Amino acid sequence: MPIFNTEGFFHQFLYDEKNPLLFNNGFFVFFFTAFLCLYYIFRNKIAVRRYIFCFFSLYFFYKASGAFVGLVIISAIVDFVLSNAIFSTAHQLKKRLLLIVSVMFNLGMLFYFKYTNFFISLSNELFHAGFHPLNILLPVGISFYTFENLSYTIDVYRGELEPARKFSDYLLFLSFFPKLVMGPIVRAHDFVPQINKPYQISDNDFAKGFYLIVSGLFKKLIISDYLTLNYVNYIFDDPARYTGMENLFAVYGYAAVIYCDFSGYSDVAIGIARWLGFTIPTNFLSPYQSSSITEFWRRWHISLSSWLKDYLYIPLGGNRKGSWVTLFFTALFFTSCYFIFSSLLGFAVWLSAVLCLALLVIFILPSVIKRSKGGLSTNFNLMTTMFLGGLWHGASLNFIFWGSLHGVGLGIHKLWMIITGGEDSGVKRSRLYKMLAGIITFHFVCFCWIFFKASDFNTAAAMIHQIGFDWDWKVWSAFFGNYHNIVYMILLVMVMHLIPDNTIDKILLRFKRIPLLVYVLLFFGFVLTYGYFKSAEQVLPIYLQF
Amino acid sequence: MNNHNPVIRFVLVTFFLYLSASLLSYYIKTSWRPFNNIELLSECLKKDSAQVAVKAPEKAEEKPVVIEKMASKNFNLYLSAKTITDFNADSAHPSMPALMQKLHQLKTTKKGKVRIAYFGDSMIEGDLLTQTIRKLLQGEFGGSGVGFVPVASPVAKFRQTISTGVSEGWQDISFKTPGKPNLYISGHAFYGGASDYVSITDKSVKDSTTLIEKSILFGRCDSTTTINANNHITDIKGPAIFNRQVLSNDASHSLRISGLDNKLPVYGLSFESENGVIVDNFSFRGITGIELNKLDSNMLSAIAQNNHYDLIVFQYGVNMLFRPDDMNFNWYNRAFSPVVKKFKACFPDAEILMVSTADRAFRYEGQLESAHGIDSLVKVQASIAYGTKSSFYNQFATMGGRQSIVNWADSTPSLANKDYVHPNFRGAALLGQYFYEAMMKEYHQYTRTLR
Repeated sequence: MPIFNTEGFFHQFLYDEKNPLLFNNGFFVFFFTAFLCLYYIFRNKIAVRRYIFCFFSLYFFYKASGAFVGLVIISAIVDFVLSNAIFSTAHQLKKRLLLIVSVMFNLGMLFYFKYTNFFISLSNELFHAGFHPLNILLPVGISFYTFENLSYTIDVYRGELEPARKFSDYLLFLSFFPKLVMGPIVRAHDFVPQINKPYQISDNDFAKGFYLIVSGLFKKLIISDYLTLNYVNYIFDDPARYTGMENLFAVYGYAAVIYCDFSGYSDVAIGIARWLGFTIPTNFLSPYQSSSITEFWRRWHISLSSWLKDYLYIPLGGNRKGSWVTLFFTALFFTSCYFIFSSLLGFAVWLSAVLCLALLVIFILPSVIKRSKGGLSTNFNLMTTMFLGGLWHGASLNFIFWGSLHGVGLGIHKLWMIITGGEDSGVKRSRLYKMLAGIITFHFVCFCWIFFKASDFNTAAAMIHQIGFDWDWKVWSAFFGNYHNIVYMILLVMVMHLIPDNTIDKILLRFKRIPLLVYVLLFFGFVLTYGYFKSAEQVLPIYLQF
Repeated sequence: MNNHNPVIRFVLVTFFLYLSASLLSYYIKTSWRPFNNIELLSECLKKDSAQVAVKAPEKAEEKPVVIEKMASKNFNLYLSAKTITDFNADSAHPSMPALMQKLHQLKTTKKGKVRIAYFGDSMIEGDLLTQTIRKLLQGEFGGSGVGFVPVASPVAKFRQTISTGVSEGWQDISFKTPGKPNLYISGHAFYGGASDYVSITDKSVKDSTTLIEKSILFGRCDSTTTINANNHITDIKGPAIFNRQVLSNDASHSLRISGLDNKLPVYGLSFESENGVIVDNFSFRGITGIELNKLDSNMLSAIAQNNHYDLIVFQYGVNMLFRPDDMNFNWYNRAFSPVVKKFKACFPDAEILMVSTADRAFRYEGQLESAHGIDSLVKVQASIAYGTKSSFYNQFATMGGRQSIVNWADSTPSLANKDYVHPNFRGAALLGQYFYEAMMKEYHQYTRTLR
């Protein structure tokens, strides 16, 4: 007879730092079943149903991040009160002041938890200030729910949204457990109206949700985890030990990992939401299919890029005008570029200046060609957005650099479009052009990922050096011999990108009713595959010498 | 109202099946690994111990290493962290007394050279670990210069203590080359033609006025040949199997040689001050050290004469831990003891120090753990030192023993790479520091015996 472990049983219900709740914990299976049963039983009692949902969402948060659940509740209270006050005040100045309080509160919280240590180390480096870093832990999901709070109060301020009447509506919008850890960033005007709708699920909702959940888990738990632990981490940790080929595959591998990780989580969140009667827009649309960097940002983390567009790019002035913020960040951008060229890359003063000037020309040229003053601010506003968007991803110079690279990429693409005359002109319609542009875009994105993943500039530089100068085809057989599974998995991710976006909808339409048994078998097939990969023998690094 | 809800139906059916299967797995004897990892009840249920089939370890240690009992010796001293031991039971007795005596003489007279050859695998690649030991020893006992530098190495670009430029045409013969090539103790011999060059700058010397003697180390070459060294045409005479020729001795810390003869085996360059401690790094990735047995005894003796060493350190082991379940390493005693004996015979004035493997981890059932066989490997390595009357330093215990590489890799800032094998430059600097402190402990022990 097995023995019941009472202590272990009760311990399950508490937050465990070493084992925070995620979709792949065994506990989640119990959590979700219990939640769904209650939600289903009380489906017609809208208020009770909502309280159950809030409770389970906050409990999920507690199991995922412990006491930080308090932050979600506090920020929900603050923003709920402020947004209602903004709405009910007719006085424009008071509205504005309340909005400023809300923005300061939300950004202040984000800054304190996410960026304090970054600015401490930055000022230590720049001014030798000698501050000690603080012991601050990053609360799970704070980057996401801060943005949700911001968009909500700004929408209310703009008069585009009536604030939620019930606090529990707002709390649920903010803490909705499927999207809590890694997004997507949901907008209140999309989400809140769905909270109190009748709970009805069609076969198609179920099938689409099932597909999103299982494929999302597959991407995140199998592909991303396997590639990270058995390959990508080895190389990115110390690129100098590995050959150029291994480094190049690490970059491709990371491109697959970051896509599978981010989009996998989003898909699971969207799928679970679908099962609970909520529609959340798609967050990733085969981004590596893009044939330009502009298209990439229409396909990659859509909820973030549209947020940045609506609440950062447009307030900055969009394609109409600039502002002092634009000016500040543009100045900061060019100063950092100069610093990178002259100090990090060791270029001569004149060369650094010429390169900065070249960048400036890229940004200015479109408005010169089009003879419009507004065009001038477009690029600088775009640059500022990408600069800050980079910083949102993490508190380090690498992320800022990553964002800025994308900003430059967008600028160059804009210029290219102007020079060659629009998106659909002549040669651009040809397949060959699209393919070539796709390959170039993908490699540019990959190049940027190096800075996103590497722990610092030196590591990134070592990696680029190895790829450029430590190349020998002879390595292939030993490399493939050891890492064939890795290569196959990267290929799988790339092939997934070649499948048109609506294929699954077409398939689901064809098989109108799929028997329950098929779903059950598919699900257990996935679970066992996951179990297999979890216990699969580790792929060990090899250290090639040639 | 439409009550048809495929979600609740699916979730309930799946949950029931999943839970039943998990529960069932506690009642049946056979277990299936992929399922064990995902069953739902592992936190709440424990298998009855009687039910868990007692499974003999797949590869049990064949026989414990036989340790010859000696009255004055205590084998178990090998377990001590941060300590160099020659297993002498008398704790007042210093290990490696001959070396300590030479160091003491160097310290008091400021004359003479104490030379250390540090052999290892990828753990010391790029001068990791040895650069710290060198810096600290030179700070304490004097001396400067990076010592031996091979013509080419896979990580030369990232070695902090030198900068290097090398032409593409060099032919590299090494331990990995089939046949029995005549190699230097670095495991390499390089052949360059008239158009080849190598240029190396010693960056370990910070004071630009320090005089550094720059030599070329090379093999037999029947006729006198000329090379271009720092733009001077120099005659090279190579009558012996191993030769060392000083090319310049000045405040320049760079040496460029070119215009070679492709019959001349070039082993490397050396940068050394006239007096002090010199630490040569001999790293060769992927080896276990038994490759050193391929070296010709005549070569070793010639090196001992022309290029003496006072301490020879062997740090290997991690490349034997390439399978997670290996438990038995007795073969290594049989394979590596002859190497130690050979070096002992050819370098009679040198102390020999075996440094154990550092920690390395594998994923067992999804959990990172130190290699299961690591304790027995360390013990076998200690037995080699004990059996050959050499000294021993337990790197594994010094790091912190089991799980230390996992903690090192996961700490912030990290001390090791996520391959859970290699300490990074921060970790290696720490290990270098510990090693130096262990040497100084013996040194102070030695100076105490003088009083």
